[in-house]
Amino acid sequence: MSLTAAFRNMPFREKTAWVMAAILIGGAAFYLDLVISASRALGQTAPPVIGFVIAYVVVIVTASVVLMSALAATSPREANDPADEREKIIGDKAGNWSGYVIVVPALGALWHYAVNQDGSMLFHLVFLSLMLGQIAEYVFQIALYRRGV
Amino acid sequence: MAKPPPITNRIRELREQYGGMSQSALAEAIGVTRQTVIAIELGKYSPSLESAFRISRVFGLGVEDVFGWQA
Repeated sequence: MSLTAAFRNMPFREKTAWVMAAILIGGAAFYLDLVISASRALGQTAPPVIGFVIAYVVVIVTASVVLMSALAATSPREANDPADEREKIIGDKAGNWSGYVIVVPALGALWHYAVNQDGSMLFHLVFLSLMLGQIAEYVFQIALYRRGV
Repeated sequence: MAKPPPITNRIRELREQYGGMSQSALAEAIGVTRQTVIAIELGKYSPSLESAFRISRVFGLGVEDVFGWQA
């Protein structure tokens, strides 16, 4: 089965999970690129810049609105249908598991701060934990749709 | 691959007996997506008790005529 056909046969919510995972991975790469470039220019960890966070949010929201609208336009009926029992279980499990993904790097960030007293790095690592948690939620959803609940 | 649940079903066979009912039609009748019907048929998902009853009613059968327990 071709990739296009496989995508067409997916449940609508699995399609949205693929799209959101891709958007969030792209957004995380965009944010990390901004921070790493700024850190290189400064010769130390770039301090938290609200502009970077706003840029990240704008990229994510814009891409989500555009791509989700396009996806909904291709399957308007499915887009309006509420999640069925299996989809609700998948959403719940993925949300629960992604919580652990947030905790592990967040603890690492705290440990790093305790050792190095680098508040800027603490900010970036905690923000990265949140991004990873969101990405993981969609990745877990995709895995559960593929392998079964 | 997740271990399949020990619940078996005859949904595919019953759909065929029921005039070749499509997965979409069954999904519509019980209020789930076609992919959920596929997952149930393949044993990748055990339906809720409510859905099991709904499926059985579509075929005019009891739950145990449609679903079984693989010991």
